[in-house]
Amino acid sequence: MICSLASIFLSLTAEPAASRLAVIQQAPAFALTTQEGKPLKSADLQGQVLLVSFIFTTCSGSCPATTSRLVQVQQELARQGQLKDGRVRLLSITLDPARDTPEKLRDYLKLYDADPASWTALTGTADEVAKVVKDWGMWAKPIANGQLDHPSRIFLVDPQGRVREIYHLGFLKPSWVVEDVRLLLSEKQ
Amino acid sequence: MHWLHSSRRLVLLPLLLLSLAVLLIRESAHAETCLSPFVKRLDGPEKLLYVFCVDADGKDNDFLAVIDVQPESPKYGEIIYQLDLGSAGNETHHFGYTDDRTHIWGCSLFSSKIFIIDVATKPEQPKVVKIIEDIPGKTGFTAPHSPYALPGRMLLSFLGAKDGGLPAGLAEFNNDGSFIRRIDQPKEAPYGYDVAVKPDLNRMVTSSFTPLNNYKKPMAQMDFKNFGKELVFWDFRERKPIQTLTAGLAPLECRWSLKENANHGFTNCALDDAIWVWEGDKEGKYGVRKLCATGKLPADLRQSPDDRFLYVSCFGSNDIQQWDVSDLKNPKLASTIVPGVHPNMMHVTGDGKRMYITNSLLSTLDRASTFWVRLAHIGPDGMKMDPFFHVDLTKLKTGPARGHDMLLR
Repeated sequence: MICSLASIFLSLTAEPAASRLAVIQQAPAFALTTQEGKPLKSADLQGQVLLVSFIFTTCSGSCPATTSRLVQVQQELARQGQLKDGRVRLLSITLDPARDTPEKLRDYLKLYDADPASWTALTGTADEVAKVVKDWGMWAKPIANGQLDHPSRIFLVDPQGRVREIYHLGFLKPSWVVEDVRLLLSEKQ
Repeated sequence: MHWLHSSRRLVLLPLLLLSLAVLLIRESAHAETCLSPFVKRLDGPEKLLYVFCVDADGKDNDFLAVIDVQPESPKYGEIIYQLDLGSAGNETHHFGYTDDRTHIWGCSLFSSKIFIIDVATKPEQPKVVKIIEDIPGKTGFTAPHSPYALPGRMLLSFLGAKDGGLPAGLAEFNNDGSFIRRIDQPKEAPYGYDVAVKPDLNRMVTSSFTPLNNYKKPMAQMDFKNFGKELVFWDFRERKPIQTLTAGLAPLECRWSLKENANHGFTNCALDDAIWVWEGDKEGKYGVRKLCATGKLPADLRQSPDDRFLYVSCFGSNDIQQWDVSDLKNPKLASTIVPGVHPNMMHVTGDGKRMYITNSLLSTLDRASTFWVRLAHIGPDGMKMDPFFHVDLTKLKTGPARGHDMLLR
């Protein structure tokens, strides 16, 4: 009994042997509010592969291209039948909670034709969002014209809640992301 | 764009075009070369130059020098701050920004320490936020050489194994300094030096030098048979070697062509007095050949932002050469400067018009006792030394210091 419990524990915590996607870190926990105004905690998403981006809806820098590229990923995953049973979820966390209300985020997803069945946009109070941004190693700094300077990072999180890849928009190929998602889905849970 | 509903297209298309335009402008207007492609580029001319310095006699602590490089500043060309690294004899060597340009990772070739330095909070007065001490214990390697930014983390090449011998290898760390994984080199390529990624092609290349137990000896005692010649080509996403090639002795810096999807790059073979070029074919196989003979001991290799020129510092013959490599079958020497005794590291600005130069390679290889930071201007008629910009690294409170790698802020 002890042996079998130990083996279950090990299978849940051990790094997948020889995976090209190393365990980079445990994905930081969060508790925020969805575009529908509902609370969502990272613990609610356990067991799903997550693609986590940080954006703000009035961004004229990297965010439109990031979201647009991720829409292509979502559409390809849907075409391949990888979105069924809620196995994959895309998350867009705002960097600008003062302006990005749930309603604004709802419009944002609609504008990009992101399917909310597998895509959630998240906001919160200034303190809540600031904590999440910091915990994920991100930052946002006001610059000219009301814009925010911020790093380009899109996080791929496995069903055990571990960051397994971080993408940069400049080299974000939807076909590669889809391959990575499929790899995580194929790993033994 | 069939996926866009027509009513949204009017709103979204300009946004996307603007987004792409902003990205392109950011990447090209000040596209510093020879940094990881994942590093955020400067959005204006440089204001500060960071120089990683070794106390010349190894008695005082090593440090990072901050030099004011704003021509309109009254302190232009002066060291405005020295960040004490807290220990001596590290042989502080190469620098690298994290992807978001908020921190510098500084590597040490004797102590194997890695210094993580915050340059965002107060750029003119950087601060050490972490020192990774037990590199051999964490990675099984010694002598971290090239800190190379990946999104949210750092890839490092190492010159040797835990015992100071071979094999060398690679490792990845989170930006906070926590260890992620080690990456082993193929058995036929046990030496390590530099690493460079071409993400659009999903390729990575690594090069070869010599391990700690050899380069730590005085030059006269070094075993010059104990240097590598190999270049290893990797599947970057897999982190798997796919091909090993033999170049000239000691291929050091790895510089991929800056053009998108261009499948070639360059390396300076220090003990072959030559620049070599690697080229990939349509089947995905690489070949490598000598491109041009240089001066003696080509120690550093840099690129112009337009991908037309290479700059090679010839440590043994005291000159820096500018090579026009726009025609890979017919490289041409475009200009030469002699900045002083044994120039080594260079850093070309994003507009391609200025190049900062230092003149220390390794404590065990330097033959001069004068150390400095100088500036060359680059124009249509080649390189010209700035007669006024001269940062003397011999008149510091702690005595002379050897300046090596540089980064701009």
